[in-house]
Amino acid sequence: MKKLFALMLVFTMVISMAACTKKEESAGSGEETKTEAKKVTLNTTTTYAGNDGNAQNFQDAVAAWESESGNKVNDSSSTSDETFKARVLADFETGSEPDVLFFFNGVDSNPLVEAGKVVSIEEIRKEFPDYASNMKDGMMGASPVDGKNYSVPVNGYWEGMFVNKEVCEAAGVEIPGPDTTWDEFLETCQKIKDAGYAPIAASLATVPHYWFEFSIYNYLTPATHNVLPGSVSDEHGTAWVNGLNDIKDLYERGFFPENTLTGTDDETVQMFIDNKAAFLIDGSWKVGGIEELTSNIDNFTVTYVPGNNDRKTTDIIGGLSSGYYITKKAWDDPDKRAAAVDFVSYMTTDELVSKFAEVSATALKNGSQVDESKLTSLAKDGLKLVQGATGMAGAVQDQIPAESRVPIFDGMPNLVTGKSDIKESVQEVLDSLSK
Amino acid sequence: MTSHIYKNKKLIIFFLAPAFLFILVFLYYPFIKNIFNSFQEISGLGSASKGWADPWYSNYTMLLKDTNMWVAFRNTLIMLVVTVFGQVGIALLLALLTDRITYGAKFFRIVYFFPIVISATALGLLFNLIFLYDKGMINQIREIFGAAALVDFKSKGIALFTMMAPVMWQYVGFYFIILVTGLNNISSDLYEAAAIDGATSYQQVKFISLPLLRNVTCTCIVLAVTGALKVFDLPWTMFPKGLPNGETWLTGTYMYYQVFNVNDVDYSSAIGVVIVILGVLLSKLVNTIFKEKEF
Repeated sequence: MKKLFALMLVFTMVISMAACTKKEESAGSGEETKTEAKKVTLNTTTTYAGNDGNAQNFQDAVAAWESESGNKVNDSSSTSDETFKARVLADFETGSEPDVLFFFNGVDSNPLVEAGKVVSIEEIRKEFPDYASNMKDGMMGASPVDGKNYSVPVNGYWEGMFVNKEVCEAAGVEIPGPDTTWDEFLETCQKIKDAGYAPIAASLATVPHYWFEFSIYNYLTPATHNVLPGSVSDEHGTAWVNGLNDIKDLYERGFFPENTLTGTDDETVQMFIDNKAAFLIDGSWKVGGIEELTSNIDNFTVTYVPGNNDRKTTDIIGGLSSGYYITKKAWDDPDKRAAAVDFVSYMTTDELVSKFAEVSATALKNGSQVDESKLTSLAKDGLKLVQGATGMAGAVQDQIPAESRVPIFDGMPNLVTGKSDIKESVQEVLDSLSK
Repeated sequence: MTSHIYKNKKLIIFFLAPAFLFILVFLYYPFIKNIFNSFQEISGLGSASKGWADPWYSNYTMLLKDTNMWVAFRNTLIMLVVTVFGQVGIALLLALLTDRITYGAKFFRIVYFFPIVISATALGLLFNLIFLYDKGMINQIREIFGAAALVDFKSKGIALFTMMAPVMWQYVGFYFIILVTGLNNISSDLYEAAAIDGATSYQQVKFISLPLLRNVTCTCIVLAVTGALKVFDLPWTMFPKGLPNGETWLTGTYMYYQVFNVNDVDYSSAIGVVIVILGVLLSKLVNTIFKEKEF
């Protein structure tokens, strides 16, 4: 027993001596690099995860920054959905927010700005004048709370109508172009339906928001699309009701797939890829998605969603809806302040933004540096779409909190089947917004 | 020494305390907090309460007026019936059948038990592929036999069947194993004596197996009823957001939807309270009806 006790004492002594030696060593090296910033571990969270096309790019960039800066990153990124938003907001509420986050700059960020939990770019620039200097201030996505910029955007988005050329050819119809009107589009859809194909690939059950945006856009203009209705009977409220009635009309004409009220977005997209549906409205991120899903990318192109009334067909939906925020918590930490600024600056260099953005919009002053020779025909068509756009409006849904969207987004199957009244549902959204 | 341990009650409390504390912190405290939250106004998950709801019982009156909630109640009760007759009934039948065979009994036990080891979410995805509209397994088989039109198994009318069939199938194996164990505990002497007296196989099942299996069957039914009230993962994977047109809501899925999609934390808390009350009442009712007998 005594022997064992003595052995334990010796072991403890050796361990403590080793620890002391290590401490002395680190103290010594600290003297040599006294001027260097202290190495820290940054807690980050972004939406570059799961199936996001830039998930790998983000991981690579983080690894490169860690290696260059000597700092560490503790990342908790996850797929962009309502659960992610809830988790981030809960983290802020409970005081366990990250140091840097890539988050939405619309109404979803209001609680962070209102609580003063994120730092404005204006404040950061007082100490770091070059912060986000490669970005156009007017495009960074000002906060709806006070109009100030808080986040530095990376890749923006545009929404357009993807077309399956083979289906159009088989149905004997022309691919809609910049001059195609809504009525011509309806005629085209009828011909496609008569030929035995589904004209529009869309899951109204799970992803109705693209059609919502463009349908109400057809009764507004790029300048007025982002104004929320004051009442169900004013100009914007009427536009919403008319737009939703147009979706109901498309449903009643049988232009959506048979399983539009029960199938998922993945199922209807697959129908589009499998030459069973002609058109698909989606975002710029779908270029990469289609490239992954098909072996014949040349069979697909992207064009403008046919316009109606005052909206030109070439007026598109697009913008920069997310960006990197530095939290007040990190800013107030003298060890983390510079590291957080350095991390965001690294992630938003011209080179990295161009890599992340590819064919989508950016806020870069010098524009995105894309090597067109490496792009597929579909990606090139996407670039042409943006270049030929006559107007751009952000998605109005970004101004509506998730819970307020429920009556018309989750309720879309009820609206198109007449189970719910469209006017009443729009009123429900407005009531929820006014709370 | 042994008797000393049992006499010293302090030691028993010492060993019981951690589990008691754990259940206190992670079950009873959240449950009481949940009751409190159901009378508050909380706009989002993680958000602080804005104070008492106006009126304080408003979530409960809203619950009575909410048509989706009534759909959820109706579907949950259907699920309950399906569970009792489908899961326990089929499990009982399979257990009786496998008990009568000499060869391959082990094989069938493994085959029937297997679904229970697969996660409900994985099963949901599996059945999604089976019932898929375009290129789904069943529709492909139908095509082979000459069917021209595809069937949407998730459409109104058959959506409930499509949702409940996998749930039923998943748990048959669980009750099957419990019932087989119960059957194994019945002495073979009884069957031998009955056979000597000239009883047929049917009579042996009717007059020996079923009466002696009564208590085990009662336990299975109580488990099935309480399980039916909690079912969530598989239906949510196959029918998110109550699609189509809110026809497939269950109390569990509707509560989840209210928290994570509608951000109505206080209302979902009220639903949670009602689910617990419903569970306690139904368990009590089932326990009374299927009271265990002393033999």
